[in-house]
Amino acid sequence: MSTTTTTTTQPAAVELTDIWKRFPGVIANAGANLVVRPGTVHAVLGENGAGKTTLMNVLAGVYRPEEGTVRLRGEVQNFANPAAAIGAGVVMVHQEFRLIPTFTVAENVALGESPRILARRSIEDAVGELAERFGLATEPSKEVWQLSMGERQRVEILKALWRDAKVLILDEPTAVLTPNEATELGRIVATMAADGRSIIFISHKLDEVTEFCDEATVLRGGETVAASLPVDALDAGRLAELMVGEATEVSIRRQRSTVVGDPVLDVRRLSVRDTHGVAVVNDVSLQVGAGEIVGIAGVAGNGQRPLSDAIAGLQAIEDGSVVLDGADITSEKPRARNAAGLAYVPEDRLGVGLAPKLNVVENSILRSYRSLTNGPFIDRGAARASCEALVETYSVKVGQLEAPMAGLSGGNLQRLLVGRELADNPTVVVAAQPTRGLDVQGVAAIQEILVEQSRSGVGILLISEDLDELLALSDRLLVMHEGSVVAEFDPDETSRTQVGAAMAGAVEDTH
Amino acid sequence: MAAPFAFEKRDKPLRGGQIRAFVVGVVVALLLGSILLLIAGHDPITIYTKMFDSAFGSRRGISTTLTRAVPLGLAGLAVAVAGSMGLWNIGAEGQIIAGAIAGAWVARLGGDLPGPALITLMLLGAVVGGGLLALGPAIARASLGVNEIITTLMLNEVAIRVVRYLVNGPWKDPDGNNFPIAPELPDQSALPALFERSNIGLLIAAAVLLGFGVYTARSAWGYELRIAGSSEKAATYAGISLKAKVFTVLVLSGAIAGLAGGIELTGSSDRLVEGVANGWGYAGIIVAALALMRPSGVAAVAVAFGAVQVGGLSIQTLGVPAAIASILQALILFGALSAAVFTNYRLVRRSSGVTTATVATS
Repeated sequence: MSTTTTTTTQPAAVELTDIWKRFPGVIANAGANLVVRPGTVHAVLGENGAGKTTLMNVLAGVYRPEEGTVRLRGEVQNFANPAAAIGAGVVMVHQEFRLIPTFTVAENVALGESPRILARRSIEDAVGELAERFGLATEPSKEVWQLSMGERQRVEILKALWRDAKVLILDEPTAVLTPNEATELGRIVATMAADGRSIIFISHKLDEVTEFCDEATVLRGGETVAASLPVDALDAGRLAELMVGEATEVSIRRQRSTVVGDPVLDVRRLSVRDTHGVAVVNDVSLQVGAGEIVGIAGVAGNGQRPLSDAIAGLQAIEDGSVVLDGADITSEKPRARNAAGLAYVPEDRLGVGLAPKLNVVENSILRSYRSLTNGPFIDRGAARASCEALVETYSVKVGQLEAPMAGLSGGNLQRLLVGRELADNPTVVVAAQPTRGLDVQGVAAIQEILVEQSRSGVGILLISEDLDELLALSDRLLVMHEGSVVAEFDPDETSRTQVGAAMAGAVEDTH
Repeated sequence: MAAPFAFEKRDKPLRGGQIRAFVVGVVVALLLGSILLLIAGHDPITIYTKMFDSAFGSRRGISTTLTRAVPLGLAGLAVAVAGSMGLWNIGAEGQIIAGAIAGAWVARLGGDLPGPALITLMLLGAVVGGGLLALGPAIARASLGVNEIITTLMLNEVAIRVVRYLVNGPWKDPDGNNFPIAPELPDQSALPALFERSNIGLLIAAAVLLGFGVYTARSAWGYELRIAGSSEKAATYAGISLKAKVFTVLVLSGAIAGLAGGIELTGSSDRLVEGVANGWGYAGIIVAALALMRPSGVAAVAVAFGAVQVGGLSIQTLGVPAAIASILQALILFGALSAAVFTNYRLVRRSSGVTTATVATS
């Protein structure tokens, strides 16, 4: 099992060494490494923004690394494009499937091959045979639009096998699947590995990793923090810790709120289904008191986003209710919820909170423009003045107020967004990943604002993947796993390991 | 081997980049065109001077250019209004026809009315006609999410078939020597002349373009349009009803194109003919794209586009084959369009291997 023996007997199927890739304003990979042995299922773990997808895109020929080498079976590769990678046997199954809905399964699988349209029947037979060999239940003559998400994924995998992929990259393959389909996928993946192929399984769901994979590599901040850990010997709590990071110096250790007021946010038995009908929030109840900060911890994709969107009115609620300061707002539109005293700092700052193509002034008046009108026209002077006040109060560094929003740095985007949301003196703030991706000063500034708000009596629901932040700021800490709140901790009397175990779904006795 | 150059996204768009890019694009296109002209045995300087002269060198030239800019501008505005919120109205061609049909119908019913009243009613009819043709796509898109590109495009064919049926059948001019044309419109329905070839239609179009340019740039309505075009979720969060917006914008877009049909009918033509839309609707898509889907930029682009067309036609009198004239026009438009890429991207040179990229253009 040690790397020395494997390299002498058999070169690694994939070896990525010291990969660097930068994008404007972001270093996505900062010397990342990955070694995948032939015939194994290898998990690549990491939070959103850890650099997993970028690293896989480097391997699949989508990006060229600025530094570092890609080796397949010991040979250095220099892929110019995805086609070159596919030619070398590396195929990526993206989260968004790349299938033509009006083509049949067989046509999609054989797409891009030399034209053999007349041989339709024989292609269908060949595709059917291949599917059977790997236990992929499918009907080659069916058109793709008729298929479920799980079936479509099997078509993508068939496409890879059709091109005789030796290395298959599955990018968060279970994100779109029902639990049964996910189990089925695990079986398929095992069959492919038994056939000598290597499967790279990108995920941030720890239970899948322990169930489906042989080894795991963990990325954080673009670097490899743990390479090729054997999954058998893994403790899920330890994995969670590796993903979210070691304890760093706590920026603020907040004085806990001694007097918590009446509940200002009361979420009762809330359930949400996503567009595929999968339950993503299950029967969640929580309360936030005036002046209280309630933290929600959890590995990404365990229902935090639909929960916060449902509270803000951007996600249809299946069941349950949301009560804000005594008023039931379950069926209200987002704007009515704002008027009732809700402020929302969404996870997607650009796209949900802010419109990227619009300028700073236009974004700053998103909630208030109706009151800044002069007849049908927006009073530009008033809009500018309110924007200037915001920029001043929250020290947003911006060159030009007429510059497109997308040009601002993450920290400045967030200052403007938070400032705009707080302008109406809300009673409840829902802040989702408010400091993710910000630099040290940005993090401190946003955290300070949140603490300041709680002191003045605002109830805050803080959803974060940064355990240190949650432990430092929260009065109470809830943990979400698979759409449910599975544990509650007192931040003063718990440890990262305990919280990490709960995040991984291993709920011990909490109080 | 990889291409030696690659596009890299700029951190922020180049400031004032659009105008710079257009100028550079047009210059490059003219240089490429010179090669073509030299090969064909023509002096590029003479040809380009002639093109410019015919479009802007005389009152008559300016009038011809502006007359072309009227339908181009209105069709461009129709596409740009929809484009501001990320919708594609590919059906301006059909909506122009629908507008012309409706205008002609009004003239058939109220041919005895005095000029100002008749013209007003015809233009209103044209607006309604264009809007009606867009109504189906608008409802389908707003309520069911049906792709408006497909529906608006297909309705172009329907509009063409309908006008063909009318001028070959029930509306065919009995005194038209069996040509597929409708009878002449009443004399008083012609738009009053302004100067040279230009008529009042120019003022109407200018007013509509200016009005919409200002309204979409300054009003709360235009603001909501741009939010919806930039991010649907942000728009929902701001309390903007996307369905209502999609519906009104598509119908409005059709109505503006319909107005172009009405002005063509009452201004440039004396009767309804099959070719009333003359490709203006499709050219409008290019105009809107060059204006970056901003209604406020459409007027200037429409005049420039009109000038390129007038110039392209004029050089055929110097013996330049029509094909080369068309290629020249296409080169100029293509140059201006493709140069816009550089406002958001820059070209970087890839040195061999995996060393860092160097900036080739600022």
